[in-house]
Amino acid sequence: MPPPTRSLEVAGVEAVGAYTLLRLRDAGADHGAPGQFFMLRAEPAPADAYLPRAVSAAWAGDGEIAFLLDVRGPGTRALAAARTVSVLGPLGHGFDLAPGPSILVGGGIGAAVLPWLRRQLAPLGEVRTVLGFRSDAQAVCAGLVDPGATVVLDPVLVTEPLARLLPAEATVYACGPDRMLEAVAALCAEHDVPCQLAMEAAMACGFGACYGCAVRIDGTWKRLCIEGPVVEAARVLA
Amino acid sequence: MSSPDLRAELCGISLANPLVNGSGTLDALAAGTLGLGAFVTKTVTLHPREGNPPVRIAETPAGMVNSIGLANPGLDAFCADHLPRLGDLGVPVVASVGGWSPSEYATAVARIGAHPAVAAIELNVSCPNVESGCISIGTDAGETRALVERCRAETDVPVLAKLSPSVSDVAAIATAAAEGGAHGLVLINTVRGIAIDRDRLEPLLGGGGGLSGPAIKPVALHAIFHARAATGLPIIGMGGVASAQDCIEFLAAGATLVGIGTSLFADPGLPERALPELGGLMRRHGVEAIGDLTGIAHPQVSSSTRA
Repeated sequence: MPPPTRSLEVAGVEAVGAYTLLRLRDAGADHGAPGQFFMLRAEPAPADAYLPRAVSAAWAGDGEIAFLLDVRGPGTRALAAARTVSVLGPLGHGFDLAPGPSILVGGGIGAAVLPWLRRQLAPLGEVRTVLGFRSDAQAVCAGLVDPGATVVLDPVLVTEPLARLLPAEATVYACGPDRMLEAVAALCAEHDVPCQLAMEAAMACGFGACYGCAVRIDGTWKRLCIEGPVVEAARVLA
Repeated sequence: MSSPDLRAELCGISLANPLVNGSGTLDALAAGTLGLGAFVTKTVTLHPREGNPPVRIAETPAGMVNSIGLANPGLDAFCADHLPRLGDLGVPVVASVGGWSPSEYATAVARIGAHPAVAAIELNVSCPNVESGCISIGTDAGETRALVERCRAETDVPVLAKLSPSVSDVAAIATAAAEGGAHGLVLINTVRGIAIDRDRLEPLLGGGGGLSGPAIKPVALHAIFHARAATGLPIIGMGGVASAQDCIEFLAAGATLVGIGTSLFADPGLPERALPELGGLMRRHGVEAIGDLTGIAHPQVSSSTRA
């Protein structure tokens, strides 16, 4: 059973470089775990954006849940202008936090899922962060993730600084475009380093109903909302 | 006035309320039945199907276009793994069946119809997202009639024909299904549609897909109205239903049950919210039993002159 849809008040909206931070008031609710996702839709539902948007939280706690948005179309534009937001979640499987050192890898808006993950990993061991962006304006959000992060800009790929950190006795957690995830997964496999990927696919529902979010997992098309969005890299390479 | 009676009946099957899901818009084993009066499965085919590669969905004004491609586990796994668990849902189960030849349909209907968990069978003869073959049978009256006739002979449970609005005369196809012995109709499947990527100016879903959501509601009401007028068969009406008000409009047009599909994606709480609202609307219209709403739009308009 999907959790009930909640109507949450917007606590604040602010620009973070090229992206937009949306904070919602949400006292006492189950926020799930980093990497899980929520279906967000502005209230009232915008006429030109019928479906909710699947977004993972940037962080949650202290009566708030925050989302970093890449405002590109009618759905995200309406979210950035909303006073209340319809929220369904947490949904799917988040990151599986492993004891010991961690390496976080983010590409573009994929960095949005990492601040909360880093906070939860910090007590478990050293956390190093490598981030890649297309522009300086996008890279502003690196400060939200990790002030000490190694940041590269297009055309440098995030796999360049990652390769310098490997091999390592660490777990790699990555979120970004598919091609970045494929490269990160391949690099980790080469060094036999465990790797978890937070993937993205167009979703209409988020709870297994629409079959829209097909991703190649275990060698076949599977629903990312059910299998993921965080998936062991080996299952994607299979 | 006593509280309105939401109980419904279709082809002898009793439901706690008249709301069902559209085939392929709910995985009740993953998400539960959301308060619906019956559950309709995703279409099952003889052999397993992975479905189409992504991109499979595209948002469009007041709806979406999908091209899932009948992803399903195939008849064997469906009967062995899914049907026993579907029997525990606590609501009647309508199994949706597809195929590429009349004998594929007949094989699936015989096996699924024999399972005690199945209350009725939906023949999907109208999926827009697979290559032609028997699945596009619903565009031909003669083939529709023959397929329904053959499948009816394979099972004792009610057989419903799910029809496409993307035909020149949906009443003629509905009449053919009735002549073949269909116990009821399911209207409408998605409308053929295409979405163009706004930047690359290429189709998002290959050659196109099926349009659903509130954008298609008037198309659905038209098909239901005229199929009901032509056949008098009970109809599960669907296509863009997004509110209790939509539900009574579909009932008035001729539906006996109302299917919710795409709206469940954006609003899974809709059935449980709509049911009490439906009761309120029944009171406002002076109706005590949900079945009394079916077809009440008909006496006011002559279907023969306004088609």
